[in-house]
Amino acid sequence: MIIVKDLSVERLNKKIFENINLSLTSGNITILKGKNGSGKTTLLKTILNIIEPSVGSIYWKGKLLKKNLYDFYSHITYIADKTSSLTKLTVKDNISIWSKIFLSNINNSQIETALKTLKLEDHLNQKVGTLSFGEIKKLEFLRLIIENKKVWFLDEPLSNLDEYSIELIKQTFEDHVAKEGSIIFSSHQNPGIYVTEEINL
Amino acid sequence: MKFLTKITFFFYREYKLNLSGVQDILTNIIFFFVSIFIFIFSIGPDKETISLIGIGILWTLLLLSSTLSLRKFYQDDFENGNLLIIHLNGFSYGFIAILKTLSHFIFVQIPFLLSIPIACILLNISNEKLIYVFTSFTIGSLILSCLGSISSSMNLMNQRNYLLGSVIVMIFSVPIIIFSVGIINLEENFYSLTNILFGILLIVFAINPWASGLCLKLSLENN
Repeated sequence: MIIVKDLSVERLNKKIFENINLSLTSGNITILKGKNGSGKTTLLKTILNIIEPSVGSIYWKGKLLKKNLYDFYSHITYIADKTSSLTKLTVKDNISIWSKIFLSNINNSQIETALKTLKLEDHLNQKVGTLSFGEIKKLEFLRLIIENKKVWFLDEPLSNLDEYSIELIKQTFEDHVAKEGSIIFSSHQNPGIYVTEEINL
Repeated sequence: MKFLTKITFFFYREYKLNLSGVQDILTNIIFFFVSIFIFIFSIGPDKETISLIGIGILWTLLLLSSTLSLRKFYQDDFENGNLLIIHLNGFSYGFIAILKTLSHFIFVQIPFLLSIPIACILLNISNEKLIYVFTSFTIGSLILSCLGSISSSMNLMNQRNYLLGSVIVMIFSVPIIIFSVGIINLEENFYSLTNILFGILLIVFAINPWASGLCLKLSLENN
């Protein structure tokens, strides 16, 4: 589905990374590993066409990504390392906005089940700003279920999570891959998640 | 059809956000009225003088109150990554700029427009002039929203000096004030001046998606 060829990014005359090659097909998980500042987020954003690469090309379904951009966007979910939840609104409002704006076909009972699994069901009427960082992070993952897209781009999905949540993420990854989905995520370390490709930056 | 539904729900999101921050809009309106009172107290009780400069005061305060809300135009959505998510949801940067401008007009400027009749009473502006005031303010505030969009998106790349955006809006709003005040004071030229004001609106409305879209793209790229 996604092929990245000889990708290099330079910012302010400083090389962030160079000659990155990767391919992401259905049922695959790719991990981007590296220290802080090694360019993991930059690589994710470059593949998402947010940052212009200095050299290299990205293909989606065999076509150049730029020529097929909005089809690509209609198949992906991106979760950044910082929260995108609207902190002034309640958990319920955020879920309602996401469901509407992403034209989600997920029903209420599926959302309720996901909330219970994430142990967020008691916080439904609480403002997001009052939740702990880990809880906000878990709420962010609810977007994966609401958007229900094939390809997931996750920036540091495992940071600030307890062991239970990490196990939950591992299980969610396995379920998604079993349904022919694919995942590309960045992380400092890999706590036992089965990956098909590892890119060291 | 899907795209139209997405646009509808974008405005639903904006409505929810503005409702949660309704105190900001109220503060702006309170600032508007308190400033009118300060002007009245500083000018004195002469009705004729107040009536003569009332329109100028209204426009100056509308401009100042509008610049107060500029910081919120893109900043929150930029900082929490929502701009990026909206873009990844299929909206181009330019289209996001158009939607945010319309949202600013609906949720920030219209409450001002609704409070204008009260301001007109306070400033001794006659009822006959109210239609001219409304026309000029409706077109003028939409122009201010477009200028606000451009300056706020530029400010995303310049996090150190927020006043710069307000200065840009003020400089570019000088011709708008000239023609808007003209509409109200020179009633016989109402149609010609309204056409000029409408022309300015079309120009800034056409430039806005390009200029703001480019600034949004660059600021997200460098974030």
